[in-house]
Amino acid sequence: MSTALVTPAHVATPPKLTPRQIRRRVARAVLLVVMILVAGVMLYPFVVMLVTSFKTESQYLIGRGSSLQSWKDLNQTLPIYQELLNSTIICSASIFIVLVVGGAAGFAFAKLQFRGSNVVFLTVVSAMMVPLQAILMPEFVNMAKLGLTTSYFGAVIVYAALGTPFSIFLFTTYFRRIPDELIEAGIVDGLGYTGVLTRLILPMALPAIATVTVLQFIQIWDDLLVGLLFLQNPSQRPITVGLAALAAGRTTSIPELLAGSLVSALPAMLVYLGFQRFLIQGLTMGIDR
Amino acid sequence: MADVVFERVTKIYPGANGVPAVNDLSLSVADGEFMVLVGPSGCGKTTALRMVAGLEEISDGTIAIGGTVMNNVLPKDRDIAMVFQNYALYPQMTVAQNMGFALKIRGVAKAEIAQRVGEAARILRLDEYLDRRPKALSGGQRQRVAMGRAIVREPQAFLMDEPLSNLDAQLRVEMRTEIARIQRLLGVATVYVTHDQTEAMTMGDRVAVLRGGLLQQVDTPQDLYDFPANEFVAGFIGSPPMNLILANLDEGQGVTRAHFGDQSLLIPEQYRSTHALAQWIGRQVVLGFRPEDLVADNSTTDDLLRARVDLREALGSEILAYLAITSNTDVVLDALPTSDAETVRKRSRVVARLSARTDVVEGSLITLGLTTDNLHFFDPNGGRSLRVLTS
Amino acid sequence: MAISALDLRRTPRRAGSRFRPTYSTSLLTRRRRRMGLVLTLPALVLITLLIVVPIGQAVYYSMTEWNGVTTTWIGPSAWTQAFHNPTMWRVLENNALLLLSVPFALGIPLCIAVLLHQKVAGWKIFRSIYFLPTAISWVVIGLVAEHFFAYSGTLNSMLDWLGFSHSHTNLLGNESTALIALGVTFIFSMIGTNTMLFLTGLATLDPSQEEAARIDGASSWKIFRHITIPHLTRFIQLAFVITIISAFSALFSLIFVMTGGGPGYSTTTMEFLVYQTGFAQAQFGTAALYGLILFIIMCVVGVFQLRLLGAKD
Repeated sequence: MSTALVTPAHVATPPKLTPRQIRRRVARAVLLVVMILVAGVMLYPFVVMLVTSFKTESQYLIGRGSSLQSWKDLNQTLPIYQELLNSTIICSASIFIVLVVGGAAGFAFAKLQFRGSNVVFLTVVSAMMVPLQAILMPEFVNMAKLGLTTSYFGAVIVYAALGTPFSIFLFTTYFRRIPDELIEAGIVDGLGYTGVLTRLILPMALPAIATVTVLQFIQIWDDLLVGLLFLQNPSQRPITVGLAALAAGRTTSIPELLAGSLVSALPAMLVYLGFQRFLIQGLTMGIDR
Repeated sequence: MADVVFERVTKIYPGANGVPAVNDLSLSVADGEFMVLVGPSGCGKTTALRMVAGLEEISDGTIAIGGTVMNNVLPKDRDIAMVFQNYALYPQMTVAQNMGFALKIRGVAKAEIAQRVGEAARILRLDEYLDRRPKALSGGQRQRVAMGRAIVREPQAFLMDEPLSNLDAQLRVEMRTEIARIQRLLGVATVYVTHDQTEAMTMGDRVAVLRGGLLQQVDTPQDLYDFPANEFVAGFIGSPPMNLILANLDEGQGVTRAHFGDQSLLIPEQYRSTHALAQWIGRQVVLGFRPEDLVADNSTTDDLLRARVDLREALGSEILAYLAITSNTDVVLDALPTSDAETVRKRSRVVARLSARTDVVEGSLITLGLTTDNLHFFDPNGGRSLRVLTS
Repeated sequence: MAISALDLRRTPRRAGSRFRPTYSTSLLTRRRRRMGLVLTLPALVLITLLIVVPIGQAVYYSMTEWNGVTTTWIGPSAWTQAFHNPTMWRVLENNALLLLSVPFALGIPLCIAVLLHQKVAGWKIFRSIYFLPTAISWVVIGLVAEHFFAYSGTLNSMLDWLGFSHSHTNLLGNESTALIALGVTFIFSMIGTNTMLFLTGLATLDPSQEEAARIDGASSWKIFRHITIPHLTRFIQLAFVITIISAFSALFSLIFVMTGGGPGYSTTTMEFLVYQTGFAQAQFGTAALYGLILFIIMCVVGVFQLRLLGAKD
């Protein structure tokens, strides 16, 4: 500041601060402390999982010591590899359907108006508001009657059906921002509507596809209810369901349970950290303009 | 290459209560001709263009390209290329890919695509930018790419929808001549839509003026300026527009005079043969004269206009003086270039385009000379020119 | 020479000599509509079969008594019976009490978002940390929460450390406090999402507005109250709707792992009651009815949300 100009460089006088600057620095310091405290709270679950997972049941109860035992025994208590695989299969299949079905319909609602398309769109979007619990019983009975509760397929299409309305809403909103002239240019250039969709729209839709994928991935990976009911065969259980079932039994060692929790949480955390941007976009779709 | 012919084409949008956007349009664009469709917004010019492209269905009438009726032919089979107002470049493709896309779809060999893209790029001076994406280009460069996409096709006709309206003023002037140059070079029939009468005048071989879906006049730019078919065209073409005054015609001692307020003007003999003035004697007509026909030097003529200067705009090369005709300002009327088929009259001021050295003071009274060689007469009801068609 | 179009128009129409289109819609329009239908069809089938039809079925089920084997038609009186069932009212009361957590689930994230928006050094790292719990399952959060509230859990250790050793409790094991523990966990679970929403809202705030107010001498609080909050209205509304929807229909995982609805009915909410009635007690008809009541409640919230989404245009 101005003091630096009059003080010779070799004299290490600390620059004098005005009261205002001091107030400001104190405020910043307080702010930082508060933020660190909040960070502590938000990281609490991860710390607990990590710390506890390196204890045995007895070490956990007395609160001292550490051990790798829980991690060694984990796969016997909870078939994590199989369940991670199940989660992956179910997530990928459901997301694939949600993307294809939702993307196609979103494009149609945004750019291929047909008679009644607006009414249909509103109907579809209001299906977002239907909670699974409202249709849980008939859904379960239908799936059971069709024998779909003993294969991945039942859970996959339930997830797909639940995710599609939001996916349509998001894709429609996104595609509406693409100018009509771009599609017309494609048509004049010689494309049919199929070509427009696959060769022009699809490459432009990557951000929307990423948003839907990330949101659906976290939603499905973390879900309990559908997996619990529509996957009656324990060998097809996704990890979240396996974990919840184990916890509900209340006989498992807590360190192992938390080790399993950590494993189950990792993929969703990684996806989230990698694609945070798309998650935020999806959450605020429609009001952030 | 081919011609484009509109034959009594009508377009009625669904939900428009039967009001046509384009009304019984007949127009033919010759092979190699640069035809400009001009008019205020909502006049139907863009709709007409989109019907040629096949992006809008034709409610009635036919559009033929190269002699083939195209009403029920898909856009891709019409062999036309279109340049859009917002360019509509494919964001995920490079400049070269954008330009070659239509050829690629049509299965043209790679080598030929490359050769034709290269050629178009040379014409448009885009050689260095072929590997860039549209995002990395300036507005003018994007405009060129949009042109290039059309050129590469070697189509039967170019359709251009206000291609310069997204550019800044200086670039627009530059691209105006550029597009005209390229069109002449390629000799492809072109339909060019604009709302800007300067673009229309400078670029078109012929200009079609539309209003409210109706074709007002088709002519070369100069004829459009010199012989407007009606009050609307007179007011729309030229900037500032033609001055239009309500005046009463009378005849006495073998001469015709036009009276407005307490002033009058001697109508030269020649107009008796070129205009149907005889049947308008004793009636009111709309008298028109261009701003440049008012001159500061009033010593050499007896045809004078007395007025008060309301506003003075010095443009450097010239002065625009906005005048209120003294003693009775009620006479001054103007046909506004609106999109409606109805003539809207509004009291307005007379404009004079005077040389830059003229001494004009706001609020002062002046007497200007009026050159009477280029007077115009219109029917006050409907605005039709009273000019007798001879040829 | 000037050719007036107005004159051209006077020429009489040559009837019969003109091309008359036989279709009102062009080939392109027809292709567009057909493609539109084809592309929406899979979505329509999926949503109809798995969401719309089940709603109809649920209405039918709700008027039957069904134990999984035999079905007896009861009719609309099933609904009146349900409204006389004290369990349902007990459960709805829990839902109502949980709504008390909504102000916290909005207020705390709002404060955190404002903190982050100060953009102190490293705020992006803090942002990532704050949002991290959003990614993990509420099953996992429930498990950790159980550990937090347990008799030998973190909460009691903290109380010990603060010198309140005599106040040792297990919040989850006590009928009068279990719902509080559930509510606190719910608030924690919503922090990430709502902070994210508010931060996005703050990012769209025009800094020049704030600067102008500062130059006019407005205090920080006044700026927050009269510029920031009004600007965030839409985001607060959206967060409000999302939070309420979650409170009614996303607590299943937490309840399932933390309390199983107990002790007694103290943490059973409507959505959990649907599951319990249907799958623990095998009363499919009654469960469907409870589901529909939940749906009706959500519809009221939904109308609010549609108004919110519609208001943007």
